[in-house]
Amino acid sequence: MGRKLHKGLREILEQKKGPIVEKWRDQIHKSYPPETAQFLKREKNKFSNPIGSSIEETIWPLFDQLIGEADAVLTKKLLDNIVRVRAVQDFTPASAVQIIFALKPIIRKEIFSLVEKKGLVKEYLKFESEIDRFGLLAFDVFMECRERVWEIKRNDLLKRPYLLAGGMCPSYMMKRGIKHLEKLKKEITQH
Amino acid sequence: MAKELTPQEMLRIDLTPPNRDWMDIPTVIKPGIYCYPAKPEKVEVLGMPNPHVWSPLDDDWGLPDDWKETFLEGMRERLNKHRSFKIFMDICVRCGACADKCHFFLGSGDPKNMPVARAELIRSVYRGEFTKAGQILGRLAGGRKLTEDVLKEIWYYMFQCTECRRCSLFCPYGIDTAEVTIIGRELINLFGLNINWIQEPVANCYETGNHLGLLPHTFKQNVEFMCMDIEEFVGITIEPPFNRKGAEILFVTPSGDVFAEPGIYTLMGYLLLFEHIGLDYTWSTYASEGGNFGFFTALDVAQRLNAKIYAEAKRLGVKWILGGECGHMWRVVHQYMNTFNGPPDFLEEPVNPLTGTKFENAKSAKMVHISEFTADLIKHGKLKLNPRRNDHLKVTYHDSCNPSRGMGMFEEPRYVIKNVCKNFYEMPENTIREQTFCCGSGAGLNAGENMELRLRGGLPRANAVKYVHERFGVNMLSCVCAIDRAVLPASMEYWVPEVNVCGVSELVGNALIMEGEHDRPTDLRGEEIPGIAKAEGEEEVKEDV
Repeated sequence: MGRKLHKGLREILEQKKGPIVEKWRDQIHKSYPPETAQFLKREKNKFSNPIGSSIEETIWPLFDQLIGEADAVLTKKLLDNIVRVRAVQDFTPASAVQIIFALKPIIRKEIFSLVEKKGLVKEYLKFESEIDRFGLLAFDVFMECRERVWEIKRNDLLKRPYLLAGGMCPSYMMKRGIKHLEKLKKEITQH
Repeated sequence: MAKELTPQEMLRIDLTPPNRDWMDIPTVIKPGIYCYPAKPEKVEVLGMPNPHVWSPLDDDWGLPDDWKETFLEGMRERLNKHRSFKIFMDICVRCGACADKCHFFLGSGDPKNMPVARAELIRSVYRGEFTKAGQILGRLAGGRKLTEDVLKEIWYYMFQCTECRRCSLFCPYGIDTAEVTIIGRELINLFGLNINWIQEPVANCYETGNHLGLLPHTFKQNVEFMCMDIEEFVGITIEPPFNRKGAEILFVTPSGDVFAEPGIYTLMGYLLLFEHIGLDYTWSTYASEGGNFGFFTALDVAQRLNAKIYAEAKRLGVKWILGGECGHMWRVVHQYMNTFNGPPDFLEEPVNPLTGTKFENAKSAKMVHISEFTADLIKHGKLKLNPRRNDHLKVTYHDSCNPSRGMGMFEEPRYVIKNVCKNFYEMPENTIREQTFCCGSGAGLNAGENMELRLRGGLPRANAVKYVHERFGVNMLSCVCAIDRAVLPASMEYWVPEVNVCGVSELVGNALIMEGEHDRPTDLRGEEIPGIAKAEGEEEVKEDV
């Protein structure tokens, strides 16, 4: 996937990678309430700060994918790392995936004057379309996560068929529920 | 509170939330986070106040006219009755040590889920309505008046706390936020505002002895149903005793083990263990629930539901009580039962009939945990085990909040697991033992409609599981809690789908070498054990560990 980035533009982006990704991280943190954003930035332990650490572990390699020749599987995995959490938090779909589009103004501010100076505006616009593509991929991931949540809700219900049993023997209903679940899974795999 | 968005609002994308004082940020109640309200008929069963039909998304919650007086009077009564509650209202200095320790905060990023902030929802009412400074200075002194919106906010967040007590571990003053939630929920129940996922099990338990409302014959049938599976997968016939007077031990377990997957496999583990050692015990179809959702409603309700355990022990004339794998059941047993309904002078100090070990930790309440019991049997070489039957599993152990922080049980389950499994890996230090993370769905929040909340709350635990899965290939998450067993599969499905969930006794059941068993190519789930046939022929099995 992905197209090869113009060498000159890539050099600029690589040079400015540090400040760009750091600002991007701050922007993602700021999509949470201020008290939370402070915490996400402060706490470094991976297990005491699962959201903050997964953001940190993801955005650097994700930026590399964006400016390099992106590997489809790895890119999706990285997007999954940050979107999966947002898919169950208090975000609308738009604000959940907005974190990818947030890169545009950050990069523009950081390198656009240099890009203009070097006459790479056309290449830069193509690169921005690449960011859009990552944003749309993030939306795919978001929808997969939401679908998963509904599947889990359904599975949870099917595992507890006594809730719908209306007084039937629970052991019978339980067996029936498990069988029904297996049947559904089979149907899904077949399709 | 919650409302339909206008077209203009729909066009707005919030990129950065406002930076305002928490009291100025309105709480919006959202589907996926809250649980459905209690059905009136389930509130009526216990004679609790204001049974009515209502919805959290409506403006009118059907509160009685004098709700405010009732709430404040209820609060006054509890401030006088529970010295701890009064202290917890007074001494918090808002240092923030607890702020980032809650799984709901870590998973949601919602600052009102910081334990200090969640307690502050009630504490601000305490200041505003009960202290002179708060009454005069209001917000300057951190106080606010009780309004309907404040009540709704309290309701929303009292059901976003699983009473796991991780926060209390880090509080320099020892403030137990779980107790604030317990009192908060008691106050909510003064107006019939419980959630149905708690209220219905409470009503069922009150009427039939267990959360599902299984009648005695059905309870018995369900256990027998597991015996049929044992006959198929192990090849032996077990006839478990029910309501047998004169048995030495009464066995009580959460009913989740009797009807919910994968708890039923844990139950098969208990049945095999008792058969293996020829234990003189009995099940009870009346004390058929170790769990106690009354504990998530109000302390007096917990007391009423708990009473059946001692009553049944007395009726059957047993010497002591053995308890299955449950979470909050053990907090109730360990910290409340003796004063709720004891002391049980008619019982004896628990002694393991096979090893002679005195369980001195259970001297007072007379109830022993199955992991303590099993560990003692293994230690004394009383079990014939073939741990190779669990070789295909790479196991980690989730310390359930209540048995770990509520009763201090850390070593016994680990000792048992290490003796029945070859591959055991600990999760990182700050996610286990005292510092264990909640499953995310305890304290009656294991419903289906609040799945987003459950998945948020489950993130910190799942994050640690993911780590050991990626590092060591862990594929089984073991635990000693029925709610864990019921909810962790969903959390794993979302966060770490490669990892399955089981009870510790299920692993024991798989490893036990039963007299008269046939070839066992499958485990207790009826699933084939990879490589077991070959491995069993190669070397001698491990016996008498």
